[in-house]
Amino acid sequence: MTDTTLPQPTVSTRQPLFGRRYTLETRQQMAMHWQALVIGLALLFGLAICALILVGAGVPAQELLNEFVVQTLFDAQNLRAVLFQAAPMIMVGLAGCMAFRARFWNLGLEGQMIWGAIGATAISLFDIGPHALRLPLMMLTAMLCAMLWTLTPVLLKLHLKVNEIISTLMLNYIAANFLLHLVYGSWKDPRDNFPYSPPLQSFERLPDFLAGYNVAILMALVITAITLWFVGISRAGLYLRFVDANPRVAGAVGVPVRKMIVATVLLSGALAGLAGFVVTAGQEGRLTQSFYQGYGFSGILIAFLARNNPVAATVVALLIALLFVAGRNLQVFYQIPFSMVQLIQAILVICVASSDFFIRHRMRRIQAGDC
Amino acid sequence: MDLLTHWLGNAPDFAVPFALAALGLILTERAGVLALGAEGLMLVGALAGIGMQLGVGVAGVSLLVAMVAAGAVSLLFALMVLVLRINQVIAGLALVFFCQGLTGLAGTVFGWTNRPVSGLNTVELWPLSELPLVGKIFVQNPLVYLTVLIFIAVVWFLYRTQTGLRLRAVGENPQAADAAGIPVLTYRLAAIVAGAALIGLAGAYIAVLSTKMWIADMTGGRGWIAVSLVIFARWSPWRALAGALLFGAIEALIPQLAATGVRLPQYFVLMTPYAVTLLVMIWVALGSRESASQPGALGEPFIREQRR
Amino acid sequence: MKQVNALQLSGINKSFDGFQALTDAHFTACWGEVHALLGENGAGKSSLMNIAAGLYAPETGSLMVDDNLVRLSGPRDASRYQIGMVHQHFKLVKPFTVAQNILLGLPAEPGSYRTRLQALEQQISAKAQELGFVLDPRQPVEQLSIAEQQRVEILKVLLAGARILILDEPTAVLTDQEAERLLSTVQTFAQQGAAVVLVTHKMADVKRFADRVTVMRGGKTIQTLNPQHVSVDELVRLTVGESAQAGYTPGPPAGPLRLQVRELRSPTGSGPLAGVNLSLHAGQIYGIAGVGGNGQGELANALMGLPQPTEGEIHLESFGDLRGASAEQRRELRIACIPADRYGAALAGSLSVVENFAIGQVHGGRYGSFWRLLGTRMRSDAAAAVQAFDVQGVRSLEQNAALLSGGNAQKLVIAREFSRDPQLVVVHSPSRGLDVRATQAVHARLRAARDSGAAVLVISEDLDEVLTLADRIGVMNSGRIVAEFEHPADRQAIGKAMVSHD
Repeated sequence: MTDTTLPQPTVSTRQPLFGRRYTLETRQQMAMHWQALVIGLALLFGLAICALILVGAGVPAQELLNEFVVQTLFDAQNLRAVLFQAAPMIMVGLAGCMAFRARFWNLGLEGQMIWGAIGATAISLFDIGPHALRLPLMMLTAMLCAMLWTLTPVLLKLHLKVNEIISTLMLNYIAANFLLHLVYGSWKDPRDNFPYSPPLQSFERLPDFLAGYNVAILMALVITAITLWFVGISRAGLYLRFVDANPRVAGAVGVPVRKMIVATVLLSGALAGLAGFVVTAGQEGRLTQSFYQGYGFSGILIAFLARNNPVAATVVALLIALLFVAGRNLQVFYQIPFSMVQLIQAILVICVASSDFFIRHRMRRIQAGDC
Repeated sequence: MDLLTHWLGNAPDFAVPFALAALGLILTERAGVLALGAEGLMLVGALAGIGMQLGVGVAGVSLLVAMVAAGAVSLLFALMVLVLRINQVIAGLALVFFCQGLTGLAGTVFGWTNRPVSGLNTVELWPLSELPLVGKIFVQNPLVYLTVLIFIAVVWFLYRTQTGLRLRAVGENPQAADAAGIPVLTYRLAAIVAGAALIGLAGAYIAVLSTKMWIADMTGGRGWIAVSLVIFARWSPWRALAGALLFGAIEALIPQLAATGVRLPQYFVLMTPYAVTLLVMIWVALGSRESASQPGALGEPFIREQRR
Repeated sequence: MKQVNALQLSGINKSFDGFQALTDAHFTACWGEVHALLGENGAGKSSLMNIAAGLYAPETGSLMVDDNLVRLSGPRDASRYQIGMVHQHFKLVKPFTVAQNILLGLPAEPGSYRTRLQALEQQISAKAQELGFVLDPRQPVEQLSIAEQQRVEILKVLLAGARILILDEPTAVLTDQEAERLLSTVQTFAQQGAAVVLVTHKMADVKRFADRVTVMRGGKTIQTLNPQHVSVDELVRLTVGESAQAGYTPGPPAGPLRLQVRELRSPTGSGPLAGVNLSLHAGQIYGIAGVGGNGQGELANALMGLPQPTEGEIHLESFGDLRGASAEQRRELRIACIPADRYGAALAGSLSVVENFAIGQVHGGRYGSFWRLLGTRMRSDAAAAVQAFDVQGVRSLEQNAALLSGGNAQKLVIAREFSRDPQLVVVHSPSRGLDVRATQAVHARLRAARDSGAAVLVISEDLDEVLTLADRIGVMNSGRIVAEFEHPADRQAIGKAMVSHD
């Protein structure tokens, strides 16, 4: 029976091309630089597809680089716009990171932004607090309102196992309709007929720290530092890594799993609320009806691309902000609808998610019959 | 009285998209694939249906093309979850975002936005349509009746054929199905595409037969409501149909209330489907601690040679 | 008896993610024989047979059925060559009925589903009767006992026309009587001309029922022999290699009473615990023996503070009822837990060795306040523990814990749990999936904990493990401790208590 030199009889009738020749294996770890290479290639592939779509939609091929890089980074006005746009983007991105680290699919970033904006606007409308403290008060109210709005889905998930994807999404629609109720109703600016609140007063608006550069971006950087401390330096970060890796193990080794999940998701909500405050008190200067659109998806995308790392999220958020600004320019100059921005983001997500396959698996050749 | 008659008559029209989307989801999820992409596939179906309706103008063809289009886009999802084994939640969300971007772009680029189309004429089921009070329920466009037939066909397929048995086995325990020689991935692929076709049909129904025009993001969360409807229905087609009728009735009530002149805060009324969805989810969670009827392997990728 | 080779595997190599499961394995089963495949856990028996059943693809080597070279591209192909395998973990669709489960494996045929199912139900009843048992084909599988589910599996492969029958550890989940019946049924098949491969680690089964036996060890096939011509001792030597297991070593005399479990039961209808009573002293190892599935897992969960509804009391001296203790209290009481499912309840595979070690003492503030973790101290402590507990395969302290082999992962768990000088140690199946050397190292650690005064409770389904470790043995059966023995205990008496039904 140790006879390995068997005559090779009639090779079996069926020899599937892929079925037996190769096998797919999972692998545990891949060196960091290889991972970076694979993700980089995936991003390039995604960008190539996006470029093709843009050209197909009517952007001249030779203008692509100009529109996306030269115009946005080397034009002072556009660069300011990118940084201004980046501030709320970084905040929602970090909000996404926090929620994902607690294994919570927070698709309710938009609803939480809306409540942040409503809270901040309410302080202004009802003229609460002295003028000097008005901005901090608006900021705190924004975070508090958003946290309260986030509390429902967290508690529902922890106590009743209600799927948070659906509950947070439904809460978005409810918040959006409530916003419309306000800006078309009692909070409507009486001076004209548009659906928005009366403008904030000058001391209720985020100031510039340099001519044209709003403090919002500095706030975003401070928040990056705080989240970095939270996940990287504090003990909570270690707890959270266990919750993320395996909640059952975390509970068994003494991590306060529920407390960590609630605290982290509320932090996520607060950051989204802060983003709502920044858009309202920074860019728009009043409560408007659709200021939040696009941020929810972008926040999740940023967190996903950054693998929930705060520093990486800040960088990705800057790039997404650049994409937003370029997208608006395309809208003006080439009549490309803004949906293009969402499509580009979705393609990048799909490509990077797909690259994970090549990181976690390898193909191995199998030679059956001869050895 | 008139109000009641109109409301009952309109409810099926609003219920059909929920019903078809939920049925498509059940078909996919029974094979063990978590299908969160319904919202996106409905948009694809809606846009493709409108495009065809503007170009050719035959509703039947438009609906068929919508099904094919959604099925084709779902191949991307199948690639992600079956071949590349991406987490099914991420893949589903990515699909929604992709479809939202794609349809928003295509609708504008092709100039299909806000252009009205002709729908389908209603068909009376005489003599039922002559009944007092409920007669209007039997005056509907043909697809409403077809939906009932589709339900019967899918239920028969799932529970009364060997192929249906195998499909459910793939969703309950793919390892067992594989050991029994069932090609797990092929079944899942078929379930994804067939489910997507039904979801696309649901989207096309909204655009071509109800709204009769294309507006970006016009499904307004109905795909997500369908996802929760499936949980509420515990993956049973008939319970999903009942749930769809409930939501259809709620949606049909909104214009009826406006017509009566009752002054209700409009945006609170518009919230109701979403609030009801949330309440239904809570109610389901309170009712059964263990969702025992969920397909056993829902959301789990299948890898044959996996140890542990 | 025709002596034609039914199934022949030669030169098989197979690896999983770098782990070499099979190395040049050879195996031949003939028509008309019961051929046992004997080896310890992890010896590669199941992997080899999964290749024969078409589930795994070998990297090298060939498979012959009836002396013809075949290439299986899946279980369906195997079934075409009349190979049928009953897996250790049953491949049954729980909510389906018996008949539906069996129908799954049969090729599609024209005709209505209902009439087919009805015809099949009759066939099942008839076949079951022929084999001497009763089975309701319309009952959902999830309502059947383990032994009944196994019968469904056997019927499934037989009705699919299998003539080469592979049974993977069929008696592991059965009582002695059930096992006896099953094996004599299987013997009858072989006498009728089929080929039966019996994968097992039980010497007794081999001696009584097998015509030939192939011994596997460490992924290699060692030798094929006639079990009648070889002693049990010789078989043991072949399966475990030269280094036999170290025997029992006594510790110092037991100290005061430390833990008392009183009338611990699952709330009605929610679990198998039916009134567990036991007492554990400091400086003592109490071993709980029993056939798997008699409530051991639930008892372990309750003792380890994992979610598990119970009534009754787990009384720890100078504290009170442990069931209500918080995680912090359990930490302060210095309770060490070593669960059976290492990557499900003890180690986070995707986190580093350092993190997995440091989580044990981070709560007390050893690694800094809440505001700041002391990474350097975590690393130096982890490095020292890795050294002290001989955790091998740690190329870097930052590598994922999932990359450790079973034995080293277990050592890491022990290193963490013992870093706090435990006074109570709860262990469940400590050597599951470990090789002989790692098992011995783990056992030595448990004895050392006892000798330094800890009360140690070992729950294991491996009777040999309990016998080598325990000072006192309790036998768990149907959710209760039905008998207790002091060391040295009579193996026969324990075995009897494990399977008796009263």
